[in-house]
Amino acid sequence: MMKPPRLESRGSIVAAALLTLGTMAAATSAMAATGATLTPGKEYMVVANYPNNLHVLDLAEDKVAKTCELPDAFSPGVIQVAPDRKTAFILNNRFGDIYGIDMDSCAVTFHAAMSQAPNERTKSIFSIALSPDGKELYTIQSPTLLEKDHYRVQPTRLAVYDTAAGMNAKPIRVLPAPRQVTVMQTGKDGALYMAGADIYKVDPKTGERSVAIASRNWDRPLYSPPDVLNAWPLQTHTRDFTILYTAAKFADDKFDMNTAQFLYGYMNVNLETGETETVDFGELTEIYFTGVRSPKDRNLMYGVLNRLAKYDIKEKKLLAAATLDHSYYVVNFNQDGSKVYLAGTWNDVAVYDADSMTKLGNIQLPGGDMSLGTPQIFVR
Amino acid sequence: MKIRSIAQALAAAGLAALTLTAPVKAADKAPQEIIRGNCLSCHTEKDGHFSRISDQRKTPEGWLMTLARMQIMHGLKLEADDRRALVKYLADTQGLAPSETEGARYALERRLNTMESFESEKFTQMCARCHSGARVMLQRRPASEWEHLVHFHLGQWPTTEYQALARDRDWFELALAEMVPALAKDFPLESDAWTHWKTAAPAKIAGGWTLSGKLPGKGGFTGAMQLKPADAKDEYLLTLEGRYDDGTPLKGAGQVLIYTGYEWRGSLTVDGVAMRQVFALAGDTLSGRMFESENDEVGADVVAARQDSATSHVLGVHPAFIKAGTEANLTIVGTGLKGKPTLPKGVSLVKVVEESSDRMVLRVRADADARGVHPFKVGTAEGGTLALYDKVAAVKVVPDYNIARVGGNGGSTPPVQGRFEAEAWAAGPDGLANTEDDYRIGIMPAVWSVEPFNEVAAEDGDVKFSGVMDAKSGIFSPAGAGPNPERRMTTNNAGNLTVVAELSDGDAKVKGQGQMIVTIQRWNNPPIP
Repeated sequence: MMKPPRLESRGSIVAAALLTLGTMAAATSAMAATGATLTPGKEYMVVANYPNNLHVLDLAEDKVAKTCELPDAFSPGVIQVAPDRKTAFILNNRFGDIYGIDMDSCAVTFHAAMSQAPNERTKSIFSIALSPDGKELYTIQSPTLLEKDHYRVQPTRLAVYDTAAGMNAKPIRVLPAPRQVTVMQTGKDGALYMAGADIYKVDPKTGERSVAIASRNWDRPLYSPPDVLNAWPLQTHTRDFTILYTAAKFADDKFDMNTAQFLYGYMNVNLETGETETVDFGELTEIYFTGVRSPKDRNLMYGVLNRLAKYDIKEKKLLAAATLDHSYYVVNFNQDGSKVYLAGTWNDVAVYDADSMTKLGNIQLPGGDMSLGTPQIFVR
Repeated sequence: MKIRSIAQALAAAGLAALTLTAPVKAADKAPQEIIRGNCLSCHTEKDGHFSRISDQRKTPEGWLMTLARMQIMHGLKLEADDRRALVKYLADTQGLAPSETEGARYALERRLNTMESFESEKFTQMCARCHSGARVMLQRRPASEWEHLVHFHLGQWPTTEYQALARDRDWFELALAEMVPALAKDFPLESDAWTHWKTAAPAKIAGGWTLSGKLPGKGGFTGAMQLKPADAKDEYLLTLEGRYDDGTPLKGAGQVLIYTGYEWRGSLTVDGVAMRQVFALAGDTLSGRMFESENDEVGADVVAARQDSATSHVLGVHPAFIKAGTEANLTIVGTGLKGKPTLPKGVSLVKVVEESSDRMVLRVRADADARGVHPFKVGTAEGGTLALYDKVAAVKVVPDYNIARVGGNGGSTPPVQGRFEAEAWAAGPDGLANTEDDYRIGIMPAVWSVEPFNEVAAEDGDVKFSGVMDAKSGIFSPAGAGPNPERRMTTNNAGNLTVVAELSDGDAKVKGQGQMIVTIQRWNNPPIP
């Protein structure tokens, strides 16, 4: 018998949202000047959008400072800023290539194709990180061999590149890696933290792996396994590697969904200390694609998708929520935590006052949709 | 590959309108030679066995999708005539037996609003999460081929294992270790049904067929199809003549191609509108759906039988209900109708208005206490029912859950209407509505409207923005596609609506309701969803 699917799992709400991410064409306005070098000490945001733009925004003035041209096709536009604050590494060309862009000159200084053979098609799914000294770049590659009359999916692998390898970079080490890994960050000690079934801690020299935070396999009595969506590897001022989860918490061991509480929480690795935590911060009433803690007050969690929400973590309480002009996927702060920047999808960055949650303005980006890209905020 | 580039590739490959009814040209080369000439740069042949190709069985639509994918994604260059010949050959020699398509024909019939529900949660989540479960159920493969399919899926769409209901499990390992054996067991390459079907005598197609159908938004219709053999094997020229129950005439012509001995694929123009037929032959009868080529949500359920059939059939009674204490004309369509109609208890014949072997119009009267649903026979012909009722106790909106889609507005995809019918039900012996002994009376006219389904829909003004319900026909026309600056967060014209049918039964009004989601365009729209 056919019947309507009225009961949707919480997970599938996220699924629907993620699967319907579209792209929105927008008129390209005149490009900002591409020549200016960045000023040391100034605060910037770097963000990519369709069709092939890498914009650097001046966050003192909240204006586009310059625009560099990216090679090849767009998507996903996931960026990591090098420790020297000069080079932006971007996973692009339909998840197939990583490029290094000198933000002063707009020159492309690094290129690594994920595919390692003519009959191999390899993608990296939001997976890019840099060593603390900026000398090595890490990515999890998902290869498929395109045989004559069939495909053969190959084991996923951790590929390590020398960031000084130039335009035809080949992996200097290839190590085994679990499937289903997305976002990654490195700790101060050089450990590579990667989000997959669990949050793993990996030695990028040897590939030795341990579980830093149990996620799918967490042991939290009366909790359902979490649903975790990680697509945005944010480099935060607080040096937090933060991953949101949703989960059901049951009233008792009857595990009755009808009386369960649905919760939002975060898993966190403190990249300075390696300290980890798994903390519920509020009720699940709406979906956030990303969440970050305020640099001013680590007890405040900000989340965004269809609203910008602010939570008191200790009190597990929604303090305020701002309505938005449209959906945004990524939330981050300026360094002093006074302003919240919203990016991802469409072609404008919204700026909010972190305390009052009122909108300060929009920065229009020349070009189209930011799609699933990850912008980063940094001080040169 | 992005959607736009797929569309461009389709257009470039001449595949933009994938159709199964264009005539297969008289073969100047054997189908195996087409395979040898076009497919062996990747596939291999050994003793007449082609790698991958020979190890699968599919519907005509399934083979068409496979060949189109080879053209779009793998660089296959194939003349349109050769593709048609190959689809025909593969569907005929490596098709599905009729019984093997049971329970999944809605996908072939383009009933895209079917809400699938499977016993296996694993099958639902692993296979039917991204496409219809029917697409899987309409294929037959050995384990090695199901395994290839898993590798193809993850290789082609690497994010498959990262999506919700995949990222919570070891997707790839599960797919290989559990789904492959399960699929090989449920949908095996070798089957008794197929072995038997291959030896079945070919069905007779040419000649006259009487049909009975119902088009939501327009009503019932009856008519006759004439089929004449055309040039190629299994190809026929079709003419259709009939009338709607309201008296409007119906006329069409086109062609039909028979695949696998029973898969009837027609392409015709009915009163100026391009339509397609997806029917399944079963002996001297057929059933299926006839729908508009461009707007396939507009379609009719159809049954038909051969006029020269040795067995006579009642295909339909129009209308199939009479109110107790009233008189009405009943039109009975069928084949080989002869002898007396067997009228249910409480129904008397006033006069025979019209009588022929395929159509009978009877003036009948139902007694004041006539109740229930009864079989309706003419001579020995069976197949019809007649419902007798005193009042409408409840109304069901059919379908009770429907999906319409915004479209047009400068975009590439037209809107998809929501089409509803009001189904009247009687209370049954207990006199109470919505209890087990209720019985279905039939489809009746109603006054249609939409309301917000919930608070969010009310706040967002879904009724205002999502489209317009035609009060008379139950046809909902969705609004234009794209962001709407007048809406909250500039969202599109999606909506969540309650569909209300108000039916008049004498002085009484009876209401029923269903739900309609108005959502975005179906961007990916292959022959099998």
